[in-house]
Amino acid sequence: MAALTNVATEYTTKELMAAFVASEIEDGEAVSVGASLPVCRAGILLAHLTHAPNLKVQMSFTMTNLRNVEVLESFEYITDWRAARWAEFFYAHDTGPDLYKRRRKAVFFIGGLQIDAHGNTNLIGIGSDFTRLKMRGPGGVGTASMGTNVGRYYLYANNHNKQTLTERLDWRSCFGFGEGGADARTKLGLPGSGPRFCITPLCIFDFEEQTKRMRLKSVHPGITVEQVLASTGFTPAVPDHVPTTAPPTAEQIQLLRSRIDVEGVLRRP
Amino acid sequence: MQSTKRREVIISEQEAAGRIRDGMTISIGGFLNSSHPMAVIRMIIRNRLKNLTVIGAASAGLETDLLIGAGCVKTVIAPMISGESLAPIGPMFRYAAQRGELEVVELDEHMYYQGLRAAAALLPSLPWRGGVGTDYPKINTRLKEFHDPITGELLLAVPALHIDVALMHAGAADPYGNVQHVGTGFGDRSHHRAADKTIVTVDKVIPNEEVRANPYRTSIASVDAVVRAPYGSHPYASPGHYLEDATHIREYVSAATAVLKEGNRAPLEAYLQKYMFEPASHAEYLDRIGFERILSLYEV
Repeated sequence: MAALTNVATEYTTKELMAAFVASEIEDGEAVSVGASLPVCRAGILLAHLTHAPNLKVQMSFTMTNLRNVEVLESFEYITDWRAARWAEFFYAHDTGPDLYKRRRKAVFFIGGLQIDAHGNTNLIGIGSDFTRLKMRGPGGVGTASMGTNVGRYYLYANNHNKQTLTERLDWRSCFGFGEGGADARTKLGLPGSGPRFCITPLCIFDFEEQTKRMRLKSVHPGITVEQVLASTGFTPAVPDHVPTTAPPTAEQIQLLRSRIDVEGVLRRP
Repeated sequence: MQSTKRREVIISEQEAAGRIRDGMTISIGGFLNSSHPMAVIRMIIRNRLKNLTVIGAASAGLETDLLIGAGCVKTVIAPMISGESLAPIGPMFRYAAQRGELEVVELDEHMYYQGLRAAAALLPSLPWRGGVGTDYPKINTRLKEFHDPITGELLLAVPALHIDVALMHAGAADPYGNVQHVGTGFGDRSHHRAADKTIVTVDKVIPNEEVRANPYRTSIASVDAVVRAPYGSHPYASPGHYLEDATHIREYVSAATAVLKEGNRAPLEAYLQKYMFEPASHAEYLDRIGFERILSLYEV
């Protein structure tokens, strides 16, 4: 890792979040690069180009290593088969259920229409009557299974507001820590360790060890604890001292802008 | 007299759609904005089929949304229905589901594949752990929680998902139904294995010799019918052949969004009229789209 003395002077919130994602990825891990979470994609690739040369990158149904690719252009759609130019292996999507033994240490990212205080998520919809939802969501995709089985995952919120970060979900499509408690997952026999952090545009939450309720881990530069609390639909645990999320280094920003996010998706408001 | 010649399985898009009847369960291959058997889907809409159960892809695209909008669908089974950034949630899926006009069988991706595998293996169900502790068993009462007889662990039984006719799109097939996808084939194989019949639209029919020259590339052998349909996935992509037509997809999304947001069906009816009901064949549809647009969808 580059020393933090070389802090970037100018960066966007999304670039900061990508740098945080990068700091969480360890060399040799397997991680899926989705199309719809560009910040997570950038963070994963940033880790790969810096401290994780042996990352097992899954992208557009391929597995590959991208260390020697000069510019990692991003594709608008996950189905873009031009990613095949980098592929070392491809897998048919229906083999997914057979991959969990090999995903015991894999890393995944999960978003939601709603995320609750115990890290459970909802992609089903908003409203109390399932047959007449007020807002029908896209569907749970693979989150229930990935959240159950992968080594660890990160919750990712595009927007930090009370509607998204809510005390209770309308529907639970992916189990985080259920109703809470240190044994919330083990008593159901779920193999994965569950959500590690929740990453938002304002802050990072972790989970308090005994209650498995969200706790403020750090606020992003320029954001106050009060702002976070006023924008959150549940009351997180707040330690006496809340540190500031580490800003990206100049090297990270240079890599993001010249090799990973040339299109500037992370620089758009 | 019994023919002694090997049977070729190439049929027209009209014949293919003619094999689908009201109330059947069909599956649609591909993934999000790629590889949907649109030449046949348009004919299904043109035939005004009703009460279909549609098993979309693990991430279904707007082709499933279109079938819902055209009034063909009673029940939909898909872990997600989305056009990615073009329409994060299928607008007609949203509209019909929110009004209680569509039965939604909610499954996560890997529950869905377990259901297809159960059908392929002639089993009533297969177990799965993903979804334990969630609301899936509440909103999909076909899922049953049970304790594994070996270890006692809490699991979900996913019932078999049987398909009458699997519809999918691939790059090429020979006249005998040996299919060669370009790329991964997404989850298409799982549909084929769970189906009584499989019909594949292809961008190109290739000679049997070409299949034999590279049999490793054959992704599905001996499907029941092949439809010759160059640009047959339009407006969606076909790997190795062409990219998605985002302009056209936006035209659909805009028409469908008018229904969702304003309850105004007129733009959607005009869209269906122009692209589904009036063209009597895939060739007439491509005429409507126009050569210039079609030839602009090159891959690199």
